Amino acid sequence: MKGFTFLTTEEVVKVHDATLQILENIGVSSSSEKFKELLLSNGCKEENGRIKLPADIVNKFLQKAPSTFKMRRRDDEPDLEIGARIGYSQICSGTPHVLDLETGKRRSYRLKDLEDLTRLGDALPNIDIVSCGVPTDVDEHGYMTTEVATMLRNTSKPARVPIESTVELPYIKELLALIAGGMDEFRENPFLYLEVSPLSPLDFAGLPADAIIELAQAGIPTGLIPCNMMGATGPMSLIGAVAQQNAEVVTGIVAAQMVNPGLPVIMSPRVTFIDMKSGAGLWAAPEVGLAGACSIQLAQHYNIPVSVSAFSVASKVPDQQSGYERCFNYICATLAGCDIYAAAGSLDNALIACYGQLVIDSEIASMGKRITRKIEVTDEALAVDVIAEVVNSKSSFLEQKHTRKFLRAGELWAPQISDRSTFAHWNEKGESIAQKARNTAADLLKTREPIMEPAAEKEIDRIIQSARK
Amino acid sequence: MVSLEKIAQAVIEGDVATVKVLAQEAIDAKMDPADVINNGLIAGMNVVGQRFKYGEMFVPEVLMCAKAMHAGMEPLKPLLVDGQVDTSGKVVLGTVKGDLHDIGKNLVGMLMEAGGFEVVNLGVDIEAEDFISAAKENNANIIAMSALLTTTMLEMKDVIEMLEEEGLRDNYKVIVGGAPVSQDFAEEIGADGFAPDAASAVDLCRSLLAG
Repeated sequence: MKGFTFLTTEEVVKVHDATLQILENIGVSSSSEKFKELLLSNGCKEENGRIKLPADIVNKFLQKAPSTFKMRRRDDEPDLEIGARIGYSQICSGTPHVLDLETGKRRSYRLKDLEDLTRLGDALPNIDIVSCGVPTDVDEHGYMTTEVATMLRNTSKPARVPIESTVELPYIKELLALIAGGMDEFRENPFLYLEVSPLSPLDFAGLPADAIIELAQAGIPTGLIPCNMMGATGPMSLIGAVAQQNAEVVTGIVAAQMVNPGLPVIMSPRVTFIDMKSGAGLWAAPEVGLAGACSIQLAQHYNIPVSVSAFSVASKVPDQQSGYERCFNYICATLAGCDIYAAAGSLDNALIACYGQLVIDSEIASMGKRITRKIEVTDEALAVDVIAEVVNSKSSFLEQKHTRKFLRAGELWAPQISDRSTFAHWNEKGESIAQKARNTAADLLKTREPIMEPAAEKEIDRIIQSARK
Repeated sequence: MVSLEKIAQAVIEGDVATVKVLAQEAIDAKMDPADVINNGLIAGMNVVGQRFKYGEMFVPEVLMCAKAMHAGMEPLKPLLVDGQVDTSGKVVLGTVKGDLHDIGKNLVGMLMEAGGFEVVNLGVDIEAEDFISAAKENNANIIAMSALLTTTMLEMKDVIEMLEEEGLRDNYKVIVGGAPVSQDFAEEIGADGFAPDAASAVDLCRSLLAG
């Protein structure tokens, strides 16, 4: 599919120019001496306590970021090609709550939920990357190590974790080296990426700024995920918020490339907004989707992989509102041509994780893959001869080989859980999609094949223990 | 002659420059400063508060009105005799240790000020003891804590525990907020109140101090 564009090429360049102006004239602030030194020693200037990034420096280091990289699946399935605009769906991170699978009521997210949602993500055919909510029953010492370990032992799909600091990086590296057979092997075929959040507007606080440097040094694929809010921590105008957010993402990418040229990076802008009647933060439709689509076009302009919050909604339950909100946000991203659709399985502005919703999101992603698949306009597909044959022989298309061939090749999207039966059949159970999705989640969680060898499991336990000390 | 209605109207319109001029005119005309504040500036702000509550005004508009009200207060306040103007209460506000997120609690602070509270905004990354010493120094009624990170939420509990240890728990109402915070969490850590958004935080303070 040819990408659907929201901005013309000239407009994309104009947003890029605004980005350069922001970086050159306003600059960024940072409380990290290491971060400042890095930028200054690579041609940036300090003025009135802010670091100004000249346009030529920004452009030079942006070009060093790879346009694609592979994320390895630790089973026999094909690797993920990040940057190929294939559109992978990723479980929502940072959720402090979950809708309980049994009761459907909101409660605190626990380590068992991380385990189960990872298992569910592993089982769902169109969920490609797992991520973690915020378990409330894990000790703060060894927290991140526990999260990463829990994901890696419950899926062979790649994982992603947003981090606040690199305090536990040595243990995470130990885990990665254990599973990959060494850090060099991991860097060659990564199966985890970590994300860092600058503070909008344009502030690289100490811990996140240091984290960018340390991740780049370690060679771990890094995402830059600021989150500004239109009218509060970014301009009220959507494209202004996109430009500011782009400047924040670009600064992080540039810094990472200064440390380690060629480091795989992902642009993960999250332009959101607040409810101007209450002050509550919203990750809702359609502006999150629209802003995401504009950011995707910028990433395409730079030829750098991109992720946007395609599944986020304000709805509190997996209802009709949740359905139409996420479809609007998702469709904007999918039409623009995105690499990673984030926030799968989320509700309530990325604050609630939901098992059933994750099942539905796998379904949405599957339909998304159908609409972005290229329509092959060949003589065979145009089928003029088949039409002639049917008309002349007064038969029907049902009897044509052509029909069978195209049907088998997947011309029709095949639902996993959507109900398309007759009313009479549907009426036997009369189930809503939310109920059906919840039941499907429960069924999928009944079987659990071990992902790792017992010896590796033991080693992982040891690493978690040492991180907790 | 300056009328109180005109002053109130300028506050409602969020017209900072006009409110300033009118306040000066009121002073020149030797009007009672307490009357101008209570029945002009605050009366206007009360209308704003009502309109905001019913969804007729947006947060940035309310903030502009509060700015206008404060611009009028500034020259009038020094002319007051003590105790002529009641504030709704005094709030010490900050984002907890380890958390650098600013905007949510600033928004709460601005709306509280708009609602008649005196607010001491401590900033971000605030240690437990600093919340408490600021509350003591300022004779606060309420300690308000914010966290955006799920990893820093638990710092709120430390502040409450420290208040208990120092025997000060009953001196202050403690309220908590921030995207990951919930009513359940507030109850679990022994806070007096939780508000799901900035607008309800103001109502929460009012009801806590009334009760």
